[in-house]
Amino acid sequence: MSAIKFSFSEAAISLWRGRRATSLSILTIVAAVFVLGVVLLATTNVERWAEGWRSAAEFSVYLADEIGAPERDAVRALIAGSSAVEAHEYVARDEAGRRFARMFPDLAGPASAGATMPASFEIRAKPAALDDGEADRLAARLRTQPGVTDVRFDRAWLDRVSRIVRAVRFAGLVLGAVLVCAAALTVASVVRLTLQARLQEIDIMYLVGAPLAFIRGPFIAEGVLQGGIGASLALAILAGAYFAVRGRLASTLGSAVPGLQFLPWTWIVLLLAGGLLLGCVGGFIASRSARAA
Amino acid sequence: MIEAEQLSKMYTRGVYALRDVTLSIGKGEFVFLTGPSGAGKSTLLRLLLREELPTSGRLVVNGRTLQKMTPREVQAYRRTVGFVFQDFKLIRTRTVFENVAFVPRVLGMAADQQRRRAFQVLKLVGLQHRMNAFPPELSGGEQQRVAIARALINDPALVLADEPTGNLDPDLALDIMNLFREINARGTAVLVATHDRELIRRVGRRTITLEHGTLSEAVR
Repeated sequence: MSAIKFSFSEAAISLWRGRRATSLSILTIVAAVFVLGVVLLATTNVERWAEGWRSAAEFSVYLADEIGAPERDAVRALIAGSSAVEAHEYVARDEAGRRFARMFPDLAGPASAGATMPASFEIRAKPAALDDGEADRLAARLRTQPGVTDVRFDRAWLDRVSRIVRAVRFAGLVLGAVLVCAAALTVASVVRLTLQARLQEIDIMYLVGAPLAFIRGPFIAEGVLQGGIGASLALAILAGAYFAVRGRLASTLGSAVPGLQFLPWTWIVLLLAGGLLLGCVGGFIASRSARAA
Repeated sequence: MIEAEQLSKMYTRGVYALRDVTLSIGKGEFVFLTGPSGAGKSTLLRLLLREELPTSGRLVVNGRTLQKMTPREVQAYRRTVGFVFQDFKLIRTRTVFENVAFVPRVLGMAADQQRRRAFQVLKLVGLQHRMNAFPPELSGGEQQRVAIARALINDPALVLADEPTGNLDPDLALDIMNLFREINARGTAVLVATHDRELIRRVGRRTITLEHGTLSEAVR
């Protein structure tokens, strides 16, 4: 009988016998992997949205109501001649008003009657220009043009979103790391309880010259099983929560927010492997006390 | 089989459990190790099991110097030694058969071999009919027979027994000794530590006596 087969069969029996204590350590693994999963799921989606918005980032160049044709043409020429621009469109005041009414029908009633929207140029920048700073330089030049009242560039707030996402991800990973350590210690404690219950067996194994793999193996296997079960449960709960939230978001926000996506397979495999490794580390820590015991 | 030369074991604060013990036990011999409590009998057995190392001197078993073994060599050595304790050391949650088969199982032996060997040694100790019982369901004598069966399953060259009859009444003790004699008759060396002088007299084998950690008498 191989050490691996022996270890896992003994570990399965031991898990069942100590199922109360075992469920505690499995719960800590579920908590750790779930928190990590939520952080990764949320930040991955927000980053994906931000990336999508960034690639479609637009300038809005607002023009003064009293702007003359030569000044407007100068602005148009500056935009058209820039290598940072992929496409641009002039939006006259009437058209701007109609767009506003289409986007915000509740606000476009009597409250906005008489109010007029400013004319503007809508510009979509080239992705390369966003990265090399050419788009920023164009925005700066446009701000100084006569007849331009304001230049709104999506990129600034997208950068802010990215910074927030990075901070949230860092905080989540730190919290996840703390939970992972706690889970590993809980697994080690629970496996150590099993070890205490099997001291006589360990004693006999040492005395008959059993290989170390047979002595320590069952405890490491027990940790691995706990880690595997915990990580699988956490991913199942995460998937359930994801489908519930996606359904609710779709019904309340409609197409305002791009579709949510679950974690990519690589992350799922990594989280599962992480759970197994976490259990393995806990079991290994416990198994080291087998000799001392 | 066993060669001890100027063997000493000192624990903390300068207390000697064994001091300058020199003895020799031949292959296939049956020897009693006796002496009062604290004489050093169990210490000598622990050294022979390589659970502890001597402070000085030399201990050679079957040509192997026990002090110079690597952990892997210790494992290999222990597979050639059977052991029996006063408190049986049986696993209460496993059946008689599982207790005996546990040893070949943790040594990685194939399942059919485990079963065959376990059945053979249980038959040898006369307990094949109780193989599905759990240790608490057995008498003391039966439990010790299970422990002996477990000690024999690897077909060891040497069996060490530490007060194997300490928990048994005189008739059962003699039964167990007769079983050791049968095992010895098959060519296995047997070293039994006991302080029961009457039992030694009835069995009538070579006796080594320890007192205060030193050899006081070696009768052939």
